[in-house]
Amino acid sequence: MSRLLVSVALGLLALVYFLPLIWMVLSSFKTNQAIFAAPFELPTSIDLSKWAEAWDVGNLGRYAINSTIVTSASVFLILVAGAAAAFAFSRYRFRGRSLALGLFALGLLLPLQSYFIAQSNLFTQLAITDTLMALIIPYTAMGLPLAVYLLKVYLDALPDELFEAARIDGAGDARVFRELALPLLRPGLATVAIFSALACWNEFLLALLYIQDDDLKTIPTGLLAFSSRYVTDYSLLFSALSIVTIPMIVIYVVFNRHIVEGITAGSVK
Amino acid sequence: MKPARGITPWLFLAPGLVVFGFAVLLPMVLTIGYSFTDWNGFGAMTFVGLDNYARAASDAVFRGSFVHVVLYIAATLVLEVGVGLGLAGLVSMRPGRLWFRVAIFTPVMLPLVVVAVLWAFVYNPDFGLINGALAAVGLQGLQRIWLGDTATALLAVSFVSGWVFAGFYMMIFYAAFRQVPSEVVEAARLDGAGEWALFRRVKVPMIRGATGIAVLLCVTGGFQGFDLFFVLTNGGPYGATEIPTTLLVKTVFRNGEVGYGSAMAVVLTAVVVSLGLVYARLTAGGRSSAGRSR
Repeated sequence: MSRLLVSVALGLLALVYFLPLIWMVLSSFKTNQAIFAAPFELPTSIDLSKWAEAWDVGNLGRYAINSTIVTSASVFLILVAGAAAAFAFSRYRFRGRSLALGLFALGLLLPLQSYFIAQSNLFTQLAITDTLMALIIPYTAMGLPLAVYLLKVYLDALPDELFEAARIDGAGDARVFRELALPLLRPGLATVAIFSALACWNEFLLALLYIQDDDLKTIPTGLLAFSSRYVTDYSLLFSALSIVTIPMIVIYVVFNRHIVEGITAGSVK
Repeated sequence: MKPARGITPWLFLAPGLVVFGFAVLLPMVLTIGYSFTDWNGFGAMTFVGLDNYARAASDAVFRGSFVHVVLYIAATLVLEVGVGLGLAGLVSMRPGRLWFRVAIFTPVMLPLVVVAVLWAFVYNPDFGLINGALAAVGLQGLQRIWLGDTATALLAVSFVSGWVFAGFYMMIFYAAFRQVPSEVVEAARLDGAGEWALFRRVKVPMIRGATGIAVLLCVTGGFQGFDLFFVLTNGGPYGATEIPTTLLVKTVFRNGEVGYGSAMAVVLTAVVVSLGLVYARLTAGGRSSAGRSR
């Protein structure tokens, strides 16, 4: 009995929680008049014409491509540079090690606000604002501290003998890293990739400051530009929101276990 | 671990250090430098000592922005951490219920800008869900222009923040609850403890570490919040939701007061970093932490 009660309560709770998202999708099938006249009524039909229109006029495809480029480039760089740095910290004792490690540890605490004013000026001087590099560089830098820290924890847990054996077999440092450390790091790299990808995909403030050209905007800034262009076309806006949101929810539902683990590990470790 | 062998470790470190140094460390040092000048972004840079900090200390708007962000953090400690703890307690009463955890965690995935644009509609006074729901149950008297009313705007933004991040903290607490040994729970059950007593007196006291991390993330993340505020209210109405991050973007990028804005940024950074260090000192377990994306 109490079991059933808890289930019903949880079900209701989840429904209320999802109400804004459900309302968003339902409203995207309605006309503007219908949204105003009867915000709670179900749409009369599943009309996807506004979705097509939002996709056509809204540059949404362009934004999605830009987000994909920025995210994959940043994640790739975070993984490569992060794994290499973690390898150095975990496998070698050298002068300057604790200083370098301390700098990355500081990076775990530093808010974006501590550096973005001068960073923006620097990027303007170097004329890289309004290029995707203006996002890839800072996203990589911002993702590195946590990546280095997490991957170092993974590497520290591997037995020393493994690396000794490889060395005795005559493998050089680069080969040990590439052929021994990287494959063993795979679960750690997957975790880092998940939370880095999400952070890059969703980042807003730097994208707002550094990208003015509409053809270079990523999804968050692109959607904001879209919403100020079509302020009063609610049906179109609900369609654009649905187009952006639904694929992410689908990906999330399919990979939920990995994603939840990735995000919480990224924050708590 | 191998002892130093020339430059080998530095070759592995170089790519990361170069990018991190160029995009984070160098600009951080420069920002501190700007904060002692009256620079406007273009003209000459004159050293003005601590003038900007003195101005910040007596600037009612800047001080007000800290009051607002502290109120916001207080609200989110309840709406994110508190609610997350409650939900985790609920789902950990019995195993299973994966679907519920998946559902409540969903908003964490979405870009905050998208969430904010959606919630601007939810709060819309003409056709929004909230006023509509109030009308449907006969409570027209409670209808508000939620984001346009100085009395409700800050709470309205906090509520959206709660909707997004309660699921995040639920997952942290859920993972912690699973670490509680089942013998302890069984023993308490045999002693006749009900679910509520079990939750309050056994489970919650046993996950103090997770609670500490959650509070730290919520507080330090709260100081850095920007996206929701920028899209939903951008400081308005009448400055009622102005927080340090939105104020400093206006100061630097709209008013061109780079020097003064940098001083604000340094103050904000000092607050966040010292909170992090205090936490590290208190736990002293070597556990470090990073912010969640805001």
